[in-house]
Amino acid sequence: MSDTTTTLRAETLRNEQLQIRRVRIDRMFAVLLAVQYVAGIVGALAVSPYAWQGKERVLHMHVWVAVLGGAGIIILPILLAIFRPGTVLTRHVIAASQMLSSALLIHLTGGRIETHFHVFGSLAFLAFYLDWQVLITATVIVAADHFLRGIYWPESVYGVANAEWWRFLEHAGWVVFEDVFLIWSCILGSREVAASAARQAEVEHLSEQEQLKSAALEMAIAEMQATA
Amino acid sequence: MKRRWIIGALSIAALVWAATVAAAYKAIRRFESTPGLAAIAPASWPIRSGVQRAEGAWTLVMLVHPHCSCSRASIKELEAVLEKAPPSVRSYVLVYRPHEFPAGWERTDVYDAATRLRRAHVLIDEDGREAALFGGFTSGQTFLYDGDGQLRFEGGITLLRGDAGLNSGRAGIIRIANTQSGKGTHPVFGCAISTKPAKGEIR
Repeated sequence: MSDTTTTLRAETLRNEQLQIRRVRIDRMFAVLLAVQYVAGIVGALAVSPYAWQGKERVLHMHVWVAVLGGAGIIILPILLAIFRPGTVLTRHVIAASQMLSSALLIHLTGGRIETHFHVFGSLAFLAFYLDWQVLITATVIVAADHFLRGIYWPESVYGVANAEWWRFLEHAGWVVFEDVFLIWSCILGSREVAASAARQAEVEHLSEQEQLKSAALEMAIAEMQATA
Repeated sequence: MKRRWIIGALSIAALVWAATVAAAYKAIRRFESTPGLAAIAPASWPIRSGVQRAEGAWTLVMLVHPHCSCSRASIKELEAVLEKAPPSVRSYVLVYRPHEFPAGWERTDVYDAATRLRRAHVLIDEDGREAALFGGFTSGQTFLYDGDGQLRFEGGITLLRGDAGLNSGRAGIIRIANTQSGKGTHPVFGCAISTKPAKGEIR
């Protein structure tokens, strides 16, 4: 086996290891999205189950949004995780859906500041993919959500009606702050996987060479015994 | 064949995904930003009201539906108003309770939050009789009367439905109470306490 063959084998092993990892994480996110969906409904029922009109009560809008909106958000990523696990499209859709789930949970809990931590926790989970581009997708979704709502609906995101147009940059800035370290860890993690694959390819190469040597030695011994 | 079926299903899911996100945003936006029925408040303190108004003292009255989750924000804003308003302002939270509901029906977290306000008196408003006298229909509706019993502010003190935070309603009522001048109004966001009465039913 030549150096080129070892390099190619190392690349194949690296891709296989990343693929196995990403398929597993896709499935983990499918479960997480489903759990978040249920948690959203439970949260909506706990925080604001009904809207009232005097003595009459009707299901609160938040419950409908948790049931229908939540289902709409998770349907595509879960289907992709089941039928197209490990693909680039799947993990980017999952990243976008995870951020949209954060936005939904923030709404359902009445904009509790604590729920905003869901965004940062989600980014950390997304870094498990060892694909820094997924973090960019998630960040773009968060920034776009804040930018658009900052223009058309500033109260819902900043709590004041007259927020400056650039305020989304402040919010996105903290996300970028976390991204810097997560992207770095993705690149390091990816390098570690590549190094591990290279070591395995080298071991396989050496093992193959040893086997060839053993086979040649056995053949030579057999020939000597035959001529003796 | 199976591959085509999967691509078709994923395409439909993608459309549902995009449509749901847009629809959910729109639904929440509409729900939270649609104000409740504005008050038809008399210009002066309703004389038939059972709420005690001290002559010469400014009086604040808030109507609350105890099961309206959006009114948590109104109570939170009221707390902020009472912190900034002069201590001489007397304040009342009138908690709606229909007579046919069992005692304790009104004991919700909204009620508890109102009772925790240091400078507010919580009163039960059976069948919304007081709300009708004050001309309010929506939970979170707030009125501020001056020392002569003249209405100075009417409206809500939250930004949106269920959203606490800086807003012109809160700022307006604090400014009027502190300067003892001017008038103000603001949209009110919350559950309905009652429907709009026919003409002539108020007072």
